Amino acid sequence: MSAPSPQIPFAVGDRVVYPNQGVCRVFGVEAKEVAGQKLTFLTMKREEDGAVVMVPQAKVQSVGLRKVASAQEVEKVYTFLRSDSDKADLDWKQRARTNAGRMAQGGILGLAEVVKGLQVLSELRPLPNKERELYDNARHLLVSEISVALGIPEHDAEDSVDVILFPVGRERPKRTAAEFKAPGGDEEMGIGEDMIDLESPEMEIPAEVPEAPEEETTEEALALPKVEGPPTKARLSDEEVTVTQTTGSGLVPQGKPPLKRKRGRPPKPKPAEKAHAAPKKRGRPPKAKPLVEVHVPKKRGRPPKAKAKKK
Amino acid sequence: MIRIATFDPYEEKQLKRLCEILYTAFAVGTEHSSNVRLPEGFAEPYEAARLLEEAPRVHAYADDKVLFLTSKKLKDRALPSGSAPTNGLSKYAGEKAIITTSVVKDLEQGMKTVARHALHQLGHTWELHHCLDPRCAMYPTWTPSFPQGEPIFCPFCRDRSDQKIRLAKS
Ligand SMILES: [Zn+2]
Ligand SMILES: [Zn+2]
Repeated sequence: MSAPSPQIPFAVGDRVVYPNQGVCRVFGVEAKEVAGQKLTFLTMKREEDGAVVMVPQAKVQSVGLRKVASAQEVEKVYTFLRSDSDKADLDWKQRARTNAGRMAQGGILGLAEVVKGLQVLSELRPLPNKERELYDNARHLLVSEISVALGIPEHDAEDSVDVILFPVGRERPKRTAAEFKAPGGDEEMGIGEDMIDLESPEMEIPAEVPEAPEEETTEEALALPKVEGPPTKARLSDEEVTVTQTTGSGLVPQGKPPLKRKRGRPPKPKPAEKAHAAPKKRGRPPKAKPLVEVHVPKKRGRPPKAKAKKK
Repeated sequence: MIRIATFDPYEEKQLKRLCEILYTAFAVGTEHSSNVRLPEGFAEPYEAARLLEEAPRVHAYADDKVLFLTSKKLKDRALPSGSAPTNGLSKYAGEKAIITTSVVKDLEQGMKTVARHALHQLGHTWELHHCLDPRCAMYPTWTPSFPQGEPIFCPFCRDRSDQKIRLAKS
């Protein structure tokens, strides 16, 4: 195991955050041949489950790998959570873009924005399943980073967020649509489509986006339990930069084409979506049917489901 | 399997009821495994984190969860952003949880509330985070409506815990 090269601003043992993947510990640099190309990878182990994450040296910056937040940054997160910040966009597409951008950038404040934005939105109306999942993913990443940043257990980190979001002794307020940004309103988030497109290569979400993309982008689809398409996760895009392997926790069988898996995936705003920007009115989707049904194996961001019968 | 370990005496029939509710919620076998002694140096209100740490070992297998019950109060926790009222505690993705039954005056009548706290803490051990749905047991426990709710999960949390449990069993 060699030490990271000068182009890599991290040292062995550093705890870093990989956007959408969570906190990882750097353990070295490794040369590997991928598709006939010899590449140097920064190798890390995701702390949550021991999965090995490898990022080509040349991509370390562009994937947004960064050091774990400082205590001061966590304090800023608390301040933000307490503040009366902007409400989420009522236009679900705009919102999805904004949140996908925040998740892809992976800053701790961005995670807090996703959590708080969706939380406040849920005080107006229930979240569609997709956003409920996003909320959980962002919450998970936020909580684990606070836990690492402050050196406190995760349950304390989560409660530290929630004594703010669910103030003690008070019920959450009921919101009215008037408090939120009208659809098509100002674009203060500044996350344009180009930006999303830029992020796309890193957000190879094949695993979670079934190949019926157009449906996927409607709010209706957002609300429905995912229908699993043929497994596409094993596909390596030309731009593929990340390899996740398992060590120990049985996540990804070795020998399978490398794939990146994590929890904390944003719904992918597909470029194709642009062409479809118009359709489907916004507004409540037909009630998401309570899904207690079993999701088959490859649901996003979770370890491969065991199929074993319950009990 | 969920194993209940008690620091204080409880009526067997109450414990049985709690087991039934937990079995219904998680579809995981649940039993009252043992009465355990309070470690030295604890005075009410107990420091939950330390008590979980120092609690006597309860015979359990991998993937079992141990739920400790005490009738004594637990101490609020000072967190970086404020104080968190504490009626239970568990380690996220861990195997031990504790709840206090002091949240109800009468266990017979308050069993649902106690069970809701148990679901919440056990839910954390199966990696559930807090939930937005006030009806769900993963809603933060210090909210005024929490004690009135049922010992159930929302479909989202239910689905997540089912996945975790199935995974553990496989
Ligand atoms: Zn909790
Ligand atoms: Zn829930």
